Amino acid sequence: MDKTIEELHNLLKSGEVTSRELIEESLKKSHEIQEKYNAFVTILDDAKETNVTDHFLSGIPFGIKDNYSTKDILSTGSSNTLKDYVPFFTATAVQKLLDVGAVPVNKTVLDEFGMGGTGTTGHTGIVKNPWDTTRMTAGSSAGSACAVASGVYPYALGSDTGDSIRKPAAYCGIVGYKPTYGMISRYGLFAFASSLDHCGVLTRSVADAAIVTDTTKGIDEHDMTSWDSSDIHLYDSLNGDVKDKKLCYIKELCDIEVYENPTEELKKHLENFMNSLEVCKSLGMNVEEVSVDKQLLDALPSVYVAISCAEATSNMSNLTGIIFGPRGEGKNVTEMMMDHRTKGFSPLIKRRFIIGSYILQKENQERYFKNAQRVRRMLVDTWKNLFKSYDAVILPVGSGPAKHLDESKDILTKDTAALEEHLQVGNFGGFPSITIPNGFINDLPVALNITGNCYDDENVLNIAYAIESKMNYKNQIAKEVHHEQI
Amino acid sequence: MSKYKALIGLEMHCEVSKTKSKVFSSAENSYKETPNANIQPLDMGFPGTLPVLNKEAVKLSLMASIILHCRQPEYMYFERKNYYYPDMPKNYQITQNPPEDCVGMEGYVDIEREDGSIFRVGIDNIHLEEDAASLDHFYSTSNIDYNRAGVPLLELVTYPDMHSAKDAVSFLEHMRQVYQYADISDADTKKGQIRCDVNISIMEDSLDETDPENWGVKVEIKNVNSFGGVRDAINYEIERQTKLKETGEYDEMEQQTRRWDEESGTTIYMRSKVDAIDYKYFVDPNLPKFKIDSAWVEEIRNSIPPLAHERKQKYINEYGLTNYDASVIVKEKAQAEYFEECLKLGIDAKTASNWLTTQILGEINREEINLKDFYLTPALLKQIIDEINKGTISSKQAKEIFYKSIEEKKEPKTYISSDMAQISDKRELESIINKVLEENQSQVAEYKNGKDNLFDYFVGQVMKNTRGKANPVITKEILKEKLDK
Amino acid sequence: MSKFTSELVDDLAAKLLIGLSPEENQMVLDEFAIIDENLSKVDSFQNIKTIEPMTHCLDDFTFTLREDEAEPSIPIEDALRNCDKTEGREVEVPKVVGGEN
Repeated sequence: MDKTIEELHNLLKSGEVTSRELIEESLKKSHEIQEKYNAFVTILDDAKETNVTDHFLSGIPFGIKDNYSTKDILSTGSSNTLKDYVPFFTATAVQKLLDVGAVPVNKTVLDEFGMGGTGTTGHTGIVKNPWDTTRMTAGSSAGSACAVASGVYPYALGSDTGDSIRKPAAYCGIVGYKPTYGMISRYGLFAFASSLDHCGVLTRSVADAAIVTDTTKGIDEHDMTSWDSSDIHLYDSLNGDVKDKKLCYIKELCDIEVYENPTEELKKHLENFMNSLEVCKSLGMNVEEVSVDKQLLDALPSVYVAISCAEATSNMSNLTGIIFGPRGEGKNVTEMMMDHRTKGFSPLIKRRFIIGSYILQKENQERYFKNAQRVRRMLVDTWKNLFKSYDAVILPVGSGPAKHLDESKDILTKDTAALEEHLQVGNFGGFPSITIPNGFINDLPVALNITGNCYDDENVLNIAYAIESKMNYKNQIAKEVHHEQI
Repeated sequence: MSKYKALIGLEMHCEVSKTKSKVFSSAENSYKETPNANIQPLDMGFPGTLPVLNKEAVKLSLMASIILHCRQPEYMYFERKNYYYPDMPKNYQITQNPPEDCVGMEGYVDIEREDGSIFRVGIDNIHLEEDAASLDHFYSTSNIDYNRAGVPLLELVTYPDMHSAKDAVSFLEHMRQVYQYADISDADTKKGQIRCDVNISIMEDSLDETDPENWGVKVEIKNVNSFGGVRDAINYEIERQTKLKETGEYDEMEQQTRRWDEESGTTIYMRSKVDAIDYKYFVDPNLPKFKIDSAWVEEIRNSIPPLAHERKQKYINEYGLTNYDASVIVKEKAQAEYFEECLKLGIDAKTASNWLTTQILGEINREEINLKDFYLTPALLKQIIDEINKGTISSKQAKEIFYKSIEEKKEPKTYISSDMAQISDKRELESIINKVLEENQSQVAEYKNGKDNLFDYFVGQVMKNTRGKANPVITKEILKEKLDK
Repeated sequence: MSKFTSELVDDLAAKLLIGLSPEENQMVLDEFAIIDENLSKVDSFQNIKTIEPMTHCLDDFTFTLREDEAEPSIPIEDALRNCDKTEGREVEVPKVVGGEN
């Protein structure tokens, strides 16, 4: 299970291994990982093998983030409000995988409904980083990242509203890819913030991400925001030829000089990033530094919180325990719903609902919600302008490796806030965006991100593929390192 | 009411019943007795479901917008109205939020009163939204049926241009006809397809009503579900507000929402405007902005079926019906269709109109049935009318056959036997008449001495002798000839 | 604009059908203070009011509306299988009194 999809497929085809054996290995590993890192809500011990066909994914196990609706399988969104919810329909992305014979073996833990970036707020407890159990995986696709990094299977589905695939992928040393908005149907994905929610995948190689997305993508009659991508062939277009491609990086995020009191970690991280840029140049790409309005960048994290909280408070108002979820106690319906919601949601989510609700109040909309939506457009236009001159924007992910579990998460105030949160622009604009590992700091993985223009997924993946091929982090499996706290 | 003038505005909700599926889900859009028999996951708000907009619902709502002379938006999009209520599983309603762009903005409609005068009602907006589930109430519980959840609903908001309960009802009747004739909705009040909110204020009659400064305090009355209710609620509220004026309390009254209580026939205070709910509207990100193509709008405009007033004019001008009969017929679309079908079958317009407006409507009103479910179709009616025209049956017999046929649900022709046939043979009638005159010689003498009213007596005697089968026209002809010579 | 106070937080929570502890209430206030500070800077951005708020992620793709075809209802067993309280074919709740809307 530490192999790539291509390798596993070849082994299955040649008969050196059977689907049954892969599933058994994956399940065994699932239980081990569960014990150590608490990555799963459900392990599907009765997973059945499937016929091996010419499809790359047939017979191969995979994981599903627990905010995907899966028929007859518990689907909780890692929330107590849905702790007993067994859907009767399957999310489109999952169904497409089932249709080609892929085998789900577990449902992975997330930050409750995807609202969080730590992997610590799921109702089944904290997910630990497989490289260092004192650190967070980041989130919200925490269990998926942990499991793929630990070699439970070659890929797991994730979802990404701010950076929920790309951040945990970075902290776990793997690949995280969210395609252009609407390329994969959101039908069956539990909504967090609908205008920002993306389906995507966590893998250990760019090629694997391409294979899985080729299968999960497609227009869906159940999602009006999905579009026809039948002329996009991600895997087939990976050729590694990136000569004369143009990349840019943003000075206001990448230049160590802009930070007042940079930590050693941050210095190393940005230095490592600059080294990666040299790799890009060695591949024949042009890499240029560009400048972006600092004011805009500084507004980014709050704009994200405003929009995502506002949409979330409405999206999750269906969670009342009346039709599904445990019925609350009370004399009347209102009391019942209140009891359900008060007990069911974690404090973090409740706080965000209230902020979202305040922002949406008629008298506040202009100042908060609409202004946030305006800055969203300004940021998107800024990036789209860059895409007129460049194939993609390349940036470091976060301010270093995974944070300690007990570290303060009050990132909105720090001067690294924009660096931590810039991946959210990918959600603002629906841009295809992929994170790949680019080295280690203190033995812990760090990553870079490539983001391109909408519908330009082939180009973005190919650039990532080329860079990956020049570095040594493809298909890496997490090795637990015992690390002192910095 | 002489000192004061009422300003009445209406919010009329009408279910769009003529689509096959719901507005955002593919569940069937039809009334079902069985609870939860028309549902898709979205209608119950299951996690991960998404709205997908029904093209036909958009088309029909644009048609309504065009008919109401409204401006259509460049883009069609929807907003969420957020509030918690058990009949709304998502706890937000997908709707539109005027004055933001919606299906139709700033139009008008001209309404004809019964006396033929015309008044104009300004339309603030018409917008498309989804209906809520229905609650069935029991002693200590309520059951939720999601069949209605997601049924397309058109909400029409007028300016406060009406001044009487009568005009308000005329407006509603007119709109009901529009929805029916345009094939947008059955607009059946019995099925709860039409629901109204009424807003009403009163002002000094002497002041200028075009200046909103002069308007009174707006009172909104929620959930009035029949036209009779609208009429009664308005009359009650005018009286209530007039009293407040007279006691000087009117100006202290706060803008408020009240509820119409059918049982007591009164309006009951619900909340003041300061407690108005903040619905936290925002644009629904799941429904992309859909460009309304002007060519499509034109196509829709050209496909609008002839509406009631157009048909009425045609009936009067081309078929020579009276204004009254034409009005009666176009009141329900099913009636106009019945009438036009008769004409297509070759029945004379006036004959068809007479049968429809008297016998047929009388019968369906008595039986409280729908004309669509009426046994005697135009084709069957024609069987009767043909026989009258041939002179085979009298109009009295025709009526008997009509009732027998609908009672026993058998074709009229089964009752038209040779035995029933009228005696129209002149020679046969002459011999019967001779016999009658012979047997009533004293009456003949009296008649000849000027007792003219005995004429009907002789007709009656002939009928008696023929068990009513004598052709009355010919009978009268012969009688006249014989008696007057 | 109503100030973001502890009372308002409780009121908003009540309307969202959520109970909050006093600590949680305080945390909301603290968190919002940061957002408020950041977003108040936005108000001074040049030409901010001339920009069309971005309500959807993509607004440049073509899509079609759903053709009006009805699908059969989902089985009642599926519809109610996650519901803790049913009566016949329906979801049951304590009697709902009063009206909304």
